[in-house]
Amino acid sequence: MLQYLVILLSDKSVPFCHYENKNTGNLLSLNGLKDALRFSMLENLSVQYVFPEGGLPAEYLSVIEEVENVKIMPANSPYADKADVLIFNGLSNLNPIKQGVPYVVRLYREEFFADYEKLIPLFEMTPHLSVVFKDLIKFNENDFDKYKTVLENLSKTIETLYASGKTPQFNLLTDRMYLDKMRNCEAGVKTITLAPDGKFYICPAFYYCGEKDVNPLGIKNPQLYKLDYAPICRRCDAFHCKRCVWLNKLTTLEVNTPSYEQCVTAHIERNAAKSLLAAIRKHGKFLPQMPDIADIDYLDPFDKIKE
Amino acid sequence: MDIKNNKEAWQSGVSKNITFIVTKDCQLACKYCYLVGKNINERMSFETAKKAIDYILSREDEFNEESVIWDFIGGEPFLEIDLIDKICDYLKMEMYRLNHHWFNSYRFSFSTNGINYHEKKVQKFIEKNHEHLSIGITIDGTELKHDLNRVYKNSGKGSYKDVVRNIPLWIEQFPFAGTKVTISSADIPYIKESVLHLYSLGIKEVNINVVFEDIWKDGDDKLFENQLIELADEIIDKEYYKDYACSFYSEHIGKPMDIKLENQNWCGAGKMLSVDAAGNFYPCTRFAQYSLREKKAWIIGNVNDGIDKNKLRPFLTLDRLTQSPQKCIDCEVASGCAWCQGENYDAAETPTIYQRAVAICKMHKARVRANNYYWNKLFRKLELEGEREEYEKNKPNEPLKIC
Repeated sequence: MLQYLVILLSDKSVPFCHYENKNTGNLLSLNGLKDALRFSMLENLSVQYVFPEGGLPAEYLSVIEEVENVKIMPANSPYADKADVLIFNGLSNLNPIKQGVPYVVRLYREEFFADYEKLIPLFEMTPHLSVVFKDLIKFNENDFDKYKTVLENLSKTIETLYASGKTPQFNLLTDRMYLDKMRNCEAGVKTITLAPDGKFYICPAFYYCGEKDVNPLGIKNPQLYKLDYAPICRRCDAFHCKRCVWLNKLTTLEVNTPSYEQCVTAHIERNAAKSLLAAIRKHGKFLPQMPDIADIDYLDPFDKIKE
Repeated sequence: MDIKNNKEAWQSGVSKNITFIVTKDCQLACKYCYLVGKNINERMSFETAKKAIDYILSREDEFNEESVIWDFIGGEPFLEIDLIDKICDYLKMEMYRLNHHWFNSYRFSFSTNGINYHEKKVQKFIEKNHEHLSIGITIDGTELKHDLNRVYKNSGKGSYKDVVRNIPLWIEQFPFAGTKVTISSADIPYIKESVLHLYSLGIKEVNINVVFEDIWKDGDDKLFENQLIELADEIIDKEYYKDYACSFYSEHIGKPMDIKLENQNWCGAGKMLSVDAAGNFYPCTRFAQYSLREKKAWIIGNVNDGIDKNKLRPFLTLDRLTQSPQKCIDCEVASGCAWCQGENYDAAETPTIYQRAVAICKMHKARVRANNYYWNKLFRKLELEGEREEYEKNKPNEPLKIC
């Protein structure tokens, strides 16, 4: 059942996941925005606005406050002090105006491998740090090795912080520790997106990549966005994985089937979380209700299905 | 294991099916043909075929099935007999040169309309490759039934006479060959006489399927059931069952299916490989653009860049339950109800292979009822005549599962 409505206020709304936005600058019409808010009230949906860089016309700023909302903003937005989530583009300018809100850092894998230490100061500024790769689908075997090493290095920092009584949250390492079942993106299941063209899409990426719009109350083949209808994912225990239906569609042509790259990166993170959990527990009691993360002999659950 | 002579092995997972779409041209314009984009322009070059072969044979670890079926289809494949001859020569030389495990465990397979079967070049090719050949000629039954659908593209004239003249030569060369018959709505009244006609031509195995497309009219199921019952009476009363087979009747269809133990996909798309004139790879020919009415081609790679394995993952993880609506999962007569992954894709509401098309539902149920009649009648006859045990011992093979 839908619970969230993401509203892209502009074609330039800051990308907050794997996709890129458009530079055309078209704004969602004011009437479109009002219709969307009415729809959100009728369907009991929580609204999440995605802001562009730069300012918005004054009447928009007024209308968006007509419903309770979450504001996703670029880190350099003139309204960043009012943001509920801040989005950083790369590692070159990590000087947040506001602390205490979740951060998302979007970057390329090479940037991450080279400068991942720049993330460390953020662990104590934000309740949750997410790193999202712009080029996840380009990971290759060499990258997987580097990724494993970098996550091991970051784990040491996080272990030290936990040992000192702090509990930083970092999507690539700690999310999995807290989960005993899948918690994925759920675009098309719990979340739907309204784009600047006034139409609904499964998620922002579907809009920006030219996929067809959908009827939010009558999505065709809706079951395919759900875990039970994803043959690889329903057997998987990389519970923190985004299970990105857009990347699925892009790489395998099916929204319910992840690519090799998405599975392997998620399993490298899962295994790093397993080691981190064990390391933290050596310092004392930690998440006693959660079982250890199991040993597995694969990085791509597809291999298990083929067997 | 002697793969070449082992029918089970050729049908099961031990053989890889690799299809060359050598041409998209055909002399005929059959009314039920699913190839909606046939044309005279897209003819495979030898260079493209060679690149495909080099790619496949150089990856023995990935293509590790015990045997291979090199399949040639069109349009009409024998329109390109010179090219096919050259491809087959190259295949044999390369499999030998590379000491490939498929050497001597391969088959060249053709589905042809039979029109130019007698021609010198085709016959020369058959003579040269006979030991490794399997050829199916499509003939739909009586002249009336055949010419209802299988007509020349230019004149609209029926093709029966030009095909049937080649049947004796074909049977002489391939005595155990079977034919494939496709049934559409207009063909139903002619099923019985057509199968019996094919038997009379000496064809011992008749593989029939109804088209998967949503073309069935009200009442077609009852007509179909009646035809199959009348055919059952003829086969049993005249004891054709001793030497002839018809794929409509099978002891294994019409049962409920276990949701855990019988959850496999029906179709082999994705385990097969198809390549066309442009050098594009497909999970099956049915995913090439000329086969699709509504959807975009599902290209999984090409002869230059190779196969994108991500695009095969949906096929290789597809199971029966995930793609079936609840009514199919709960169906009391589910076994034997077929589907074509390509038609599922083409007919789906979104571009997915995970939505099973159910247009044949009522036709399958009609088939199951007639099938029940057939086996009940046959077994009772055999028991009354004291021949049941003997029949079970010498039971003919179940016909091939065909798509």
